[in-house]
Amino acid sequence: MYGYVRPERGELRVREYERFRGVYCGLCHTLAARYGPALRFAVNYDFTFLAMLLAGPDEPEPCARRCPYRPTRKTVCPGPSPAMDAAADYTVVLAYWKLRDGAADGRFFPALGSRLLAAAIGPAYRKAASRRPAFARETERSLAALAALEREKCASLDAAADTFARILAAAAESAGNGPRPEAGDSAGDPPRVRAVRELLYHLGRVVYVLDAADDLASDTAADAYNPLRYRFDTEDGRLSPEDEAGLRVTLSHSHNSIISAFQLLDGTPYTAILENIIYLGLPAAAQAVFSGTWRAGRRPGREERSRL
Amino acid sequence: MNDPYSVLGVSPSASDDEVKKAYRELARKYHPDNYHDNPLADLASEKMKEINEAYDSITKSREGGGYGGQSYGGGQSYGGGQSYGGAYGGGAYQSQSQSRQQGYTGPRGGGANATYAMIRNHINMNNLSQAEAMLNTIPTHDAEWHYLMGSVYWRRGWMDEAARCFRTAATMEPGNIEYRNAVQYMNRGGQAYRPSGMNTGSMTNADICTICQTIYCADCCCEMMGGDLIRCC
Repeated sequence: MYGYVRPERGELRVREYERFRGVYCGLCHTLAARYGPALRFAVNYDFTFLAMLLAGPDEPEPCARRCPYRPTRKTVCPGPSPAMDAAADYTVVLAYWKLRDGAADGRFFPALGSRLLAAAIGPAYRKAASRRPAFARETERSLAALAALEREKCASLDAAADTFARILAAAAESAGNGPRPEAGDSAGDPPRVRAVRELLYHLGRVVYVLDAADDLASDTAADAYNPLRYRFDTEDGRLSPEDEAGLRVTLSHSHNSIISAFQLLDGTPYTAILENIIYLGLPAAAQAVFSGTWRAGRRPGREERSRL
Repeated sequence: MNDPYSVLGVSPSASDDEVKKAYRELARKYHPDNYHDNPLADLASEKMKEINEAYDSITKSREGGGYGGQSYGGGQSYGGGQSYGGAYGGGAYQSQSQSRQQGYTGPRGGGANATYAMIRNHINMNNLSQAEAMLNTIPTHDAEWHYLMGSVYWRRGWMDEAARCFRTAATMEPGNIEYRNAVQYMNRGGQAYRPSGMNTGSMTNADICTICQTIYCADCCCEMMGGDLIRCC
């Protein structure tokens, strides 16, 4: 999807890194098992994080699976779990709506491609949406709200980021014991769901803002909507040093909110990896975006495929 | 009640110093200033209560069991009278805590009227849509209006809009400490506990200038409130 939510690899222990790879592979296998092998393309780092965040205190029994991309050796990944199923369902829902979003894009050929792909994963989407109705509704509603903001060239960074943040926050329903029947007032939620929702809201906000900052130059060149263009009145697709500092401060608030919410969660087998991602990975991604090395540093191949 | 040792994450055979260290670390983690106007502040204070109780019960049982040599009074725990202030950079955070304790109810800023008091109440109770609806019915937007609107945004997680509102309020009424504190808090980018080894990552570019500035600001704030952070200036 975006790929900003990833560990700072050099700071991981080897066993943590292997465990992280295992969850990534596990998500890929879960997607294939639940929605067919074609849906493997939707696997991404952001929802690998989600699968670990939603995981319960006990890790499922590990199992060895063969990877179709590297058939010569098997990878060890966690067995099926409710958290992994939920992360796979959310991945499919978001992948579908991102493709639909791309289909509404003005340019003919990219739009056609997105339309065809969206049609191709339509059946998988319907299955996923029936499993996670509240999340599917929130995604559809929020992306429609974002499209409206784009049309009116909304200058409020928060309003634009809110749409994506709400989508991720909706995934917090799975942090409790199974999905709740109706998403209503959030005050009565168990503490864990509240903390995960707050964490995911601000994570969504950070991802949206980082993506906007990363795309600012290309959006300006293509005259496409980007909230930063209107929020900071940029002319040439660059932020002035003061504006960049302001943007970093607002990101820092969200980052601190993520940390504060994370600290209220009980430990799981993935806590050390989540800590790495939250404390080190996110700031590193932000640093790479602001220094302009994010795009240049993106490795082709596997990671490129993982982008929706 | 849970086992006090597992609450503090130490083994029952841990030394007094280890228990104290673990307790201090957790107290730093769930310190109210890390949950400043945070929607999860109630959960953090629950945790704080839990670790305070665990620490008190351990120290009490150890005193009874002959560990009394280094007497840990009940007042040692956070919030029990002994100030943690110094360790957290002193005045600036303390004044923050004070303003939070007063909440949004106090008639401050000069222009306070009954509607604003009600809106502050709604914000305190987290009835944000109610507070926003009431704010939208007020035709004239004075400094307090912007401040309260900023508070609604802040609680919602709309930090950019909140910062702009607080800045407008502080510009309209430069003498108001509440507004100025809010702007300063926003400019700092908030705060949260980071375990050791994980504190290198930050979203901001804090250079030595910013740090000095912050300390100087904290000192000024402190002096305004009658205290002093840095004796020599």
